[in-house]
Amino acid sequence: MIEVRDLKVHYGQHVAVDRMSFSVERGSVYGLIGPNGAGKTTTIKAIATLIEPTYGEIVVDGIPVLQQPEEARRKMGYMPDFPPVYDDLTVEEFCDLFAHAYGMVGQRKKDKVNECLEMTHLTDKKGELCKTLSRGMKQRALLAKTLVHDPSVLLLDEPGANLDPKARIDLRKLLRKLAQEGRTILVSSHVLTELQDLCDAIGIMREGTMVGSGSIDEVLSRSSPERIIRMEISTPNAELESVIATIPSISRLSALNQSGLEYEMSHEGDKVDAARVLEQLIKGGVPVCGFHLKQSKVEDLFLEVESGNRKGESPS
Amino acid sequence: MNPLIRKGIRERLRVKQLVASVLFGLIVTSTFYLTSYLNGAQDQRIYNYQTKQNITIEGSAINGARSAFGVLLGVQGFFLMFLGTGRVASVTAEDKESGLLDYQRMTPMNPISKISGYLLGLPAREYFMFLLTLPFLLHCVTVAEIPWINVGQLYLVFFSSVILYHLTAHVTGLVVSKPRAASWISRVAVMGLYIFLPALSQAGISFLSFLTILPTYFGKIAPHLKMVGMPDLDHTYSPRGQLNAMKNKLSEFWQDVPFFHLEISPALFTFIMQALILTALLITAYRKWRNQSLPSFSKRSGLIMFAILQFLLLGSLWPFFAEGKASGLLGQTLSAGSLDSGYRAASGLMLVQSVFIGLSMVAIFTFINICCPDRDLYMKGVQRAEKQQLKRLPLLSDERSGLWPVCLLVVMTSTVHAVLIHLLQASSVWNESSAIIATVGVPFLVLLGTALYMQASRELWFNLGFVGFLALLWITPGLASMVIVAGWGDEFQGAVYRLLALCPLSVTPFHLLELYAETMQIQGGEQSLFQQVKWFGVVVCLGMATLLQLRLRKQRRPEDGDQKQGSDSN
Repeated sequence: MIEVRDLKVHYGQHVAVDRMSFSVERGSVYGLIGPNGAGKTTTIKAIATLIEPTYGEIVVDGIPVLQQPEEARRKMGYMPDFPPVYDDLTVEEFCDLFAHAYGMVGQRKKDKVNECLEMTHLTDKKGELCKTLSRGMKQRALLAKTLVHDPSVLLLDEPGANLDPKARIDLRKLLRKLAQEGRTILVSSHVLTELQDLCDAIGIMREGTMVGSGSIDEVLSRSSPERIIRMEISTPNAELESVIATIPSISRLSALNQSGLEYEMSHEGDKVDAARVLEQLIKGGVPVCGFHLKQSKVEDLFLEVESGNRKGESPS
Repeated sequence: MNPLIRKGIRERLRVKQLVASVLFGLIVTSTFYLTSYLNGAQDQRIYNYQTKQNITIEGSAINGARSAFGVLLGVQGFFLMFLGTGRVASVTAEDKESGLLDYQRMTPMNPISKISGYLLGLPAREYFMFLLTLPFLLHCVTVAEIPWINVGQLYLVFFSSVILYHLTAHVTGLVVSKPRAASWISRVAVMGLYIFLPALSQAGISFLSFLTILPTYFGKIAPHLKMVGMPDLDHTYSPRGQLNAMKNKLSEFWQDVPFFHLEISPALFTFIMQALILTALLITAYRKWRNQSLPSFSKRSGLIMFAILQFLLLGSLWPFFAEGKASGLLGQTLSAGSLDSGYRAASGLMLVQSVFIGLSMVAIFTFINICCPDRDLYMKGVQRAEKQQLKRLPLLSDERSGLWPVCLLVVMTSTVHAVLIHLLQASSVWNESSAIIATVGVPFLVLLGTALYMQASRELWFNLGFVGFLALLWITPGLASMVIVAGWGDEFQGAVYRLLALCPLSVTPFHLLELYAETMQIQGGEQSLFQQVKWFGVVVCLGMATLLQLRLRKQRRPEDGDQKQGSDSN
């Protein structure tokens, strides 16, 4: 598992990560999201012992990272967002180099390299020089190298950034499988729909601080209570605005087009409250033929964070 | 096999590259070796300008091989020292910039294995090309009848130099962020450390010449490269004869090394010197491999290295101050003339002391640049101490101010200087009787002031501010004085001297000129000018030190408070 407590990282006078705390359970996938410059990569690098934090505590599988970096490194597999590879090595030699560096030799090393290439669908490319690979393929080679020493903790910075849709689905399946095998996975990504499907928990970062953390449902439920209701009516209705004015949970009504048949309303409340709104509209004579409560998504939350709407407020 | 060496071989010695290396290596080596060998194996006629007659040296295979040895060594040096060094520096910096170094940093191999993997793996092709030269070497040594034991000593020193150059390049690559800059800086560092610094050995600091393979080459090999049938030649002969005469002189130059009262073999002394630099570079590389953000040297290692440097300076200068013996050009000058010639002796003393103080000042600057915290690191330390509820950080921690260690360096330097002056007074070969305090006092004040303002400016400002400030203060006045001298000659002599005294390196020579004025037959007016300039330099150093130290204290106090308030409010 990973535990981060009160982590602070400075780059010169700029505070990249400010007093951040979170934990990732063993066998789970934790997603870090946030706009560029939020401090995701810095956090991952600090856990990976590649940046020395100003202060804070990081524990990986029971090992305090700052005090025992060498021991902690054995447990971790780190994959950066940009995939640098040794251009003049073949894919197999690239993985072999790291298997060897992690102390594997002979048949065990060979088997492990083949297994990782198989997992990342690179078996047929193993004899090719890394410099001839596409960016997506390089990313896969990097993932194979990251897995080659069987790390119990995986730190993946934007792992799907350069992959095509099929490779992304494969990656997602692979990461779920690895988590089921008991590995702890920390992943950062901008592809939010993927995180929603992949992660057991997420942390939302902004300007170096964690503004929300927990399971996806928890984080969403803690977010802004305002929901959007989309409504369609069969014929234009002159009474609509006066009926809406009598419903206190609706704060805004806006037409979606000029036909006057489709609207969006800002609604404060849950599904039960939304049902009451529908009831009041029908009672008020509004000819409702479509009524839909829009589900809040991680993407919406991300946009909220990015636009800074949540200043001074934390969902957690 | 070390995985990184294996990686280097795989990357750089695939079949295509192997064929290209064989062709390149053999063509270059055979061209230079055979040209030199065949040329040397022919009859040689050397013209004497005085007698206007030729003397003929009969050509032979042994003479051919002897003349080709140096050329072959040059080709080997080109492969390993020139091509290899550039390769190590640029690839290390590239790997660091791309993030590949981070992968290696995360593997459980110990830093020493990683360093040796980089040093031996990256120049794999250059080592292979070196191997191609070995048949030529075998032929050359056998035919030239050079003792194998001497060849063995030379190549031990050659390889330790290669490792030293490559390690310098590796450390440069680790410290400098941009690959192109790393490549250039490593070349400058190699040239500075192994060419310019050894040149200072001509001023009596013999140990500096042992940073290169030259002492071993001239001490152990050159005497065996004398042409068969070649008489001792002098300046009356044509260039070939003069070259031969110079070679003979050079081989006399690097015989056993005087150190304290001992005489040490050049090969052994070279090993000692190279081991010292290797240790320093290994410490830096080790720290950088463990954690990129650490300063290259801890304060403790810096203090130890400085103490060793002072010991070496003391040992090298001991025979000079105690018995008037010196190596290099200075040694020749002193042995050529008698020490009774006061002017010559005082000039020698002035030169040696100025170089000693200058070298120590450069070492103090290096210590301050590497081991004193910049503003960011200092603030990190304050926050950490606060977090860990420490009253203050340990004295020698990276984040702690370098004030006391820097003062210790100044005391070490002045103590060595005082010991040397004491030797001078106790010696019967010198006629100087100036008091220790009078001689050592002014350089001590200058060193102290300079060290304190360098330390304060390092901790006040970022890299650019620190280096820019020193460059402006130390170099610009020198350039301005050049312009004044070119335009107005001696008209503004006082102003020119004062401008020069802004650079602390020039205060000691002014002080010694005033001190030895009588011996050096300097007129009263000029002597008093030197005195004024000297005190001007001292006042500038101490004034700057006071000003910047006060500014540093002022800046730190409120910031510490702010930091505390900030963290409390959080």
